[in-house]
Amino acid sequence: MASPKKHYTVIVVVVFVIISLTIFSLNFKSPERMSFFRKIVLEAVVPLEGAVDSAFSSVTGVWKRYVLLVGLERKNRDLETKIASLTRDASNYREMSLDCARLRKLMNIKNDFKLPTVAARVVGKNRSSVFKTVLINKGTADGIKTGFPVMGMGGVAGRIMETSRNASKILLLVDYNSNIDVLIQRNRCQGVLRGCGSFGCELKYVQRSEDVKTGDVVVSSGLAGVFPRGLLIGKVAAVEKEEAGLFQKITVHPAINITRLEEVLVILEEKEDNE
Amino acid sequence: MIYYLLLPVFSLLLLTIQVTVFDVLSFGKTGLEISLILVIYAGFYLSIIRGIALSFVLGFFLDCITGVIPGFFVLSYVLIFLISKGVSLKVYARGVVFTIGFTFVCVLFEKFLIILMYRGLYGINVFYDILSISLLHAVIAGIFAPAFFALFHRLEVLFNVWEARSPDRL
Repeated sequence: MASPKKHYTVIVVVVFVIISLTIFSLNFKSPERMSFFRKIVLEAVVPLEGAVDSAFSSVTGVWKRYVLLVGLERKNRDLETKIASLTRDASNYREMSLDCARLRKLMNIKNDFKLPTVAARVVGKNRSSVFKTVLINKGTADGIKTGFPVMGMGGVAGRIMETSRNASKILLLVDYNSNIDVLIQRNRCQGVLRGCGSFGCELKYVQRSEDVKTGDVVVSSGLAGVFPRGLLIGKVAAVEKEEAGLFQKITVHPAINITRLEEVLVILEEKEDNE
Repeated sequence: MIYYLLLPVFSLLLLTIQVTVFDVLSFGKTGLEISLILVIYAGFYLSIIRGIALSFVLGFFLDCITGVIPGFFVLSYVLIFLISKGVSLKVYARGVVFTIGFTFVCVLFEKFLIILMYRGLYGINVFYDILSISLLHAVIAGIFAPAFFALFHRLEVLFNVWEARSPDRL
């Protein structure tokens, strides 16, 4: 006869498996049900990631600047310290200058919009993951809501997937779950841009008869109600017309460098109901 | 009880390090899923209840931090934990080669679940995209698994000693 402890263990295992399956299936029925717990985790993780990220950057900076200098002759130490100090200052100024250039660029983009925007810093990214998402340090407290479009330097980065008070998760445009209604700028040909992970993006539902060329600029169409019309998304990288089939196979390279995303602009725009 | 209280904090710290530090170290080219190695370790060395709770919490947090499809990591981590537990009951010789090989297979299994999920739920074929990164992920996780197993074992011993010595145990 099985002991009560064994029964207890089996029950616990079954309960955990059922809960796991329930969470997974809830995603398809009503994803908002679990959002409370997810928001708590987001709130907790963003400051942690920010702190670890900055601490790690400092450590790597110290390693680069000082540790390699250990072992030089004593009489050169003062000079080396001076150089190190100056190097550190120069590095800081260079970093500040780059920050300034990036922010200026963002401000220029900002000026192009009539819509209100909020700038945010990317604090967590898992670039090697299959799921292409990043965390930013702004949330509902700054007016951000789920579904809001996000711009990087030069073009669309994605849209807000989940948000808590001080943190948000962005679904990048290269993720397989991302679909954006777009236009080819040159001939106004419409299609749906779907993310393809590390392969970039694929422009779907463009008829064979349409004239699409490598290098054509792709912009948002504004039709789905999520992205405002005319935002730069990328350029056509390759066009293939298979012998059979109604549509062309078009590969698009995003305008922004997803792996170097550091600051973003979230467009504070209410979604239209025509979606 | 204190194990279950510390579990969320420890899990959050581990995932933060995994997502930030290892992403920087690898320049975003590859990844080391320490959380998955921990789940496999739990399957071999922790009790079922402690292990499944750990797998569940790690999976849930990873879903919150990087997941696109909520519940995927919870389900896959719990599954991998149960598989590891099942294997641990049958296999007694757990050398370095076995640890490397089993971790390699588990990482590939997780990627296979992703392919299956996209194919089954959305009709999207992500095989070629995943293939390019999953083999490297599996190799790296396999190589580092023995070192992390040793580290987790040390942490577990330290925790057990601390728990046993604690006068006002919860």
